[in-house]
Amino acid sequence: MACKLLRCFYNNFNSRIYNYVYISCRNGHHMRGNPPELARNLEQRLAELRYKDPTIYYRVDIGLPPVQKYRSKEVKERLAITKANRKNLELEKKSRNQELLIDLEEVKRDWVKTSGPYQIKEVADHYGVFNDLFGDAYFAPQVYIDVSYNVSEDFQMPVHYGNIIKPYRAKDKPEVIYDADENTLWTLILTNPDGHLTDTMSEYVHWFIGNIPENKIENGETLVDYLQPFPARGTGLHRHIFILYKQEKKIDYSAYHRTSPCYNLSERTFKTLDFYRKYQDVITPAGLVFFQSDWDKSLTDFYHHTLNMEEPVFEYDFPKPYIRPQEWFPRRKPFNIYMDKYRDPKQINKEFLVRKLKNVHPFKPPPKQLPYPNAVRMGDHIPSWLKLEIEKSRLKWGRVNDIE
Amino acid sequence: MLKQRYLFEIIRRFSRAIQIKNNEINPIFTNRNPRNLEYLRIAYKPDGYYIDKPGRCYWHKLQLIQTDRHVTACLFHYENGQVLKASTKEWAIKKQLYKTTDTSAYINLARVFAQRCIESGLVEFFTDLKPTNEQGKVSLFLKTLRENGLKLTEPDQYTTVYPWTRERSEKPWEIND
Repeated sequence: MACKLLRCFYNNFNSRIYNYVYISCRNGHHMRGNPPELARNLEQRLAELRYKDPTIYYRVDIGLPPVQKYRSKEVKERLAITKANRKNLELEKKSRNQELLIDLEEVKRDWVKTSGPYQIKEVADHYGVFNDLFGDAYFAPQVYIDVSYNVSEDFQMPVHYGNIIKPYRAKDKPEVIYDADENTLWTLILTNPDGHLTDTMSEYVHWFIGNIPENKIENGETLVDYLQPFPARGTGLHRHIFILYKQEKKIDYSAYHRTSPCYNLSERTFKTLDFYRKYQDVITPAGLVFFQSDWDKSLTDFYHHTLNMEEPVFEYDFPKPYIRPQEWFPRRKPFNIYMDKYRDPKQINKEFLVRKLKNVHPFKPPPKQLPYPNAVRMGDHIPSWLKLEIEKSRLKWGRVNDIE
Repeated sequence: MLKQRYLFEIIRRFSRAIQIKNNEINPIFTNRNPRNLEYLRIAYKPDGYYIDKPGRCYWHKLQLIQTDRHVTACLFHYENGQVLKASTKEWAIKKQLYKTTDTSAYINLARVFAQRCIESGLVEFFTDLKPTNEQGKVSLFLKTLRENGLKLTEPDQYTTVYPWTRERSEKPWEIND
């Protein structure tokens, strides 16, 4: 009974309060979307968005078939080696004392013969090599090519599958070694799909040798001579891709021939996809290595004196910030900061520069930077917004940095 | 003499400039290399997933899969999945080992994996492996990776600088060695 009375009193009191005072209260909980046990998470939703129908989007293997091996014979050999290892006391001692260091070169030699081609294919896919060169085709490089630049007499820079080589180290043409059977013909092409200065979807061919008998590069027809990598400043890493094609017969490449020192970049325009489409019945991609290269100081001279052009410099174009449409009566906004957003940035920078140049003497050295610049008295009767602006420019915060 | 050389230089350039027109450049340049923006640190890093236990804020991540018989080290990309792999299951590595799960196997696996990472130009990646035992297999594995020239941390994404941003951070693509 007492409880009922109390509740009645409480309700009355509450309604009385609500009549006079506004108290924010949350009536009930609104759930947006499905409950968590039914709703898909971001990963699932993205997977649904990015789903591609495999009957329409599929890729074709255009590479050489893998070398046939006799599995039972191989297993027998391997078993014998592992058994011998387990009985090898010296190996066991080394292994238990953590002194066993395996021969990395031998590992690489075996890797190239076993899972190497497929792993190189995966890395090349990660670097978008097949997507940009061949579209919907791929291949596992069954022929291993050893490409290395001779930087100095005792130092060689090998090309693997994505390592970075600076342009000054790749000035001269590299040494190319691969295993080839007798009476075979090969084509070697070095292209850069990232560096084209006029057409993004094209490549520059840096080196093109056709009809190479076996692995004698020197005896092949040099159709386009070697040009060092020249990635433009500010554009980051460019892929430079060596592709070795196996030819079925001798091919007439006269359409691709360029006169020997070819420094005209438009003549070096090349599209691997068009080239492959033209000769797909007679060539098969067999080997693949690539390196990445970005701008260095030596290239300024190369652009000016060898390519005879101005050096292109690029800057990354960041997305513009969203600034909402200007209002007639913006509420609760500091007027100076609000107005600055809609003014011409060049005008703002000019004002900062003029203010800075007022205190610059043409012949005297600039005054020393104070350890506590804001400890200096500003003067009387300065409005607070201007004080803040002065404090910010003394500390070199915000827009002052654009003219420094 | 100097003047003559200068004149000669001008003539040479002029005569070449007539033949070669390399100066036509598209003002908008697009680099198609999908790894380029990650190298310049501008690329998007999958932020979010804060309440997920391992976290997903990385471009590349090291994963170590340990089973009773074998160890596998993988490099994962947040979009492309597995990129690089080195495993004691591979004949090339197994051939020279005494046992495929002992400490020596871990150390040698790290050496091979580091070599493959360097050869493919992926030297910086994220890892959430936190070994408890300092002399254990995993910590020796990580130590060998570090000794072989890999960096087990990834740089942060470069945040866009607006005119009103307080400080101008250094642009990663302008640092040239």
